[in-house]
Amino acid sequence: MAYALVALGFVLALNAAGAVNFAHGDLVVLGGAAAVVIGLWTGLPGPLLLPFVALALGIAGIVAARVAILPLVARPPEATFVATIALAAMIEQGLTVTMDAAPRTAPPLLGTGAVEIAGITLGRQPIAIVVVGATLVVAMWFLLERTQVGRRMRAVSADRHMARAVGIPVARYVVLSLALAGALAGIAGFLLGHQFLVAPTQGAGHMLKAYIAVAIGGWGSVPGALLGALGIGLFETFVSAAVGDAWASAALYLAVLAVLVLRPQGLFGEPVGRRA
Amino acid sequence: MRALDKFWLAVLILLPVLALLVLPPFGQRMVILVGVYALMGVGYQLVFGQLGALNLAQGALFGVGAYTVALTAPTLGLLSLPVAILAAALPAAIVAGPILRLQSHYFALATLALASLIHLAAVHVESITGGANGLAGFTALLPRGPILLVIVWICLILTIVVQARLFAGPMGERARLLRQAPLVAATLGIDGGRWRLVAFVIGSALAGLAGGLSAAVSGVVSPEITGFPIMVLCLTSVVLGGARHPMGAVLGAAIAVCLPELLRDLQSAWLLAYAAATLLVVLWAPEGLATLIDRWRGVRPVPPVSPVVPAHLEAVDGPQRLTLDGVAKHFGGVAALQGVSFTLERGEVVGLIGANGSGKTTLLNVIGGLECADGGTIMLDERRINHLAPHAIARVGVGRSFQSLALTGDTRTADIAHAIETGASFLLLDEPAAGATDRERSDLASLIARLRAAGRGVLIIDHDIELLSRTCDRLICLDRGAVVAIGRPAEVRANPIVRASFLGVEEAAE
Repeated sequence: MAYALVALGFVLALNAAGAVNFAHGDLVVLGGAAAVVIGLWTGLPGPLLLPFVALALGIAGIVAARVAILPLVARPPEATFVATIALAAMIEQGLTVTMDAAPRTAPPLLGTGAVEIAGITLGRQPIAIVVVGATLVVAMWFLLERTQVGRRMRAVSADRHMARAVGIPVARYVVLSLALAGALAGIAGFLLGHQFLVAPTQGAGHMLKAYIAVAIGGWGSVPGALLGALGIGLFETFVSAAVGDAWASAALYLAVLAVLVLRPQGLFGEPVGRRA
Repeated sequence: MRALDKFWLAVLILLPVLALLVLPPFGQRMVILVGVYALMGVGYQLVFGQLGALNLAQGALFGVGAYTVALTAPTLGLLSLPVAILAAALPAAIVAGPILRLQSHYFALATLALASLIHLAAVHVESITGGANGLAGFTALLPRGPILLVIVWICLILTIVVQARLFAGPMGERARLLRQAPLVAATLGIDGGRWRLVAFVIGSALAGLAGGLSAAVSGVVSPEITGFPIMVLCLTSVVLGGARHPMGAVLGAAIAVCLPELLRDLQSAWLLAYAAATLLVVLWAPEGLATLIDRWRGVRPVPPVSPVVPAHLEAVDGPQRLTLDGVAKHFGGVAALQGVSFTLERGEVVGLIGANGSGKTTLLNVIGGLECADGGTIMLDERRINHLAPHAIARVGVGRSFQSLALTGDTRTADIAHAIETGASFLLLDEPAAGATDRERSDLASLIARLRAAGRGVLIIDHDIELLSRTCDRLICLDRGAVVAIGRPAEVRANPIVRASFLGVEEAAE
């Protein structure tokens, strides 16, 4: 479910920017780091920490949009790729310098330990991840499909020039999308940060999984990205349980290559059409 | 890309020579490293700089080269370097076929997946790679110190000189077309897939060579050498130095090697500074530092050469007749073309008219292979050409110009000139007179007359019915994808269906 949040933010940023945001994975890590730092400073419990982390990363998303995405809209997508890769390296190195290399743990959202529901024992944190994830996904769906703001965001991603022609302030909506993407990344980083520790070098891995989810689900499709992310989560869980982590990752990469070669439009079709 | 001038050639040769004469071993080692990273960068420039494809496997293939040398050097010595080249080029050649057709973001992902696989293998196939500990103690038969420096820099200088020489000429122009306007490139007969394949394999081979040399320098190989940070370093150094400048990779590599020494007190902060510098270059000097230095030296950038149509057009060999029979094309439920049949002879000029959305441009796209026809046949003499790729159709003799172009430095006629230059027997011109002045229109009319005299067949779309009536032998009127009238201009213009559907309102009002 946390992958779904990562992928959701990734696809929002992708649609708004018209190019891959390679810094997205590092925003996730930054979210985990923010949770660690704010948690240490304030000692706030998890649920109160959440809005602070979301806010901090929303701002980081705005900075990313202003620095590496908006100035490059008129250039080929490769320019944005390079700019966001540079940004990702800056975040990663910045974190390495400020935090020690030692991984940290983010505070839990609902306390640790397990609860028993209907005879099944479940960890508190996984439950929290699923609840928060599902809530945010529904909220994003409502925003995109049922509000004027969401309609305009979709208009900007479908056709930037047309959107500008009908009077939508495109730049503002790109920044807004990146802020939302950043906030989602931050929350995902916070949630993952308790289970899997926070280390500066994880960014590329998060980014790669979101990228894969979006490519498998259909480029630019929000439901496709969610399905892709859930698919990756299940795939990793079951395959690594069966054959171990390394083989699971290898199988995932091979599966991606196979999907790209055999069905380049994604498993569920590509809604935005060709983007050369 | 401009050719390598004397200034840069001197820098390129003096640097290793001075290093050999005056630098202590530690400094020589740094110069070797600059050469190694630059070699990887030069290979990267081929794919990323010239063709604009974001390849994210270069770093991992560098690692493949390093591991290959670590494994084979104890038995093969210096011969392990060619093996490293092969070891990196082979996986690239295997995956290249299918993944090079992918568009930018999918290509980036596919190469990233390949790189991740390689990294995974380096970490986990412990019996071969030594796992996380890596490999060491394999350099007994390898050259070290000054000899290694000479080998590295000779490889580098040769590669740079050859590459700069190649891309300073027509090849550079074709690469620019492929990068900026792949469709135009295809209609000029440039096989983009083949170009990318060759560039990707050669680029990977250079990565393998560089990786092998890096193993010789450091004497140890560990999984980090296949990791993403090496890839990021390669990409950022090429962008920083200049992705299409012959010296870009060298400059970027030099900064990447020297910066950590200058900022030694700040430890890993140098990478932060490096990434920030790259971001600044992307934003404000996208051509890179080498180009900035050129500007500072007073060297003007080369403007792209726009071809002009020669005053006298030679007759060309090739097919004599273009025949369409029952050509159909659907977009979803909409019939864009239905049952379109006509022939175009050499030395004949045919105008294509019809309201907006009647299928004129779609028809040119289908003939040129940019869209695939759903039904019917298109023949050049006895040869069927629908189902051929656009570049193959261009090569058998059908040229094409486009409605509007975003190519820097190109003018309206340059596009047509490109098409004529290919020696095409048949030319498809899409609204060449749109937005033209009266002067340009009369130039165009005389150009068409010359094309007819040179025995070329021309199919031309335009909204200027007077221009078409003056220049064309026949007119074809399309309405909702079907041919509603075909014949001499006066006949077609008098046809009541044509008057209703195209000339429409104004004449009906008379």
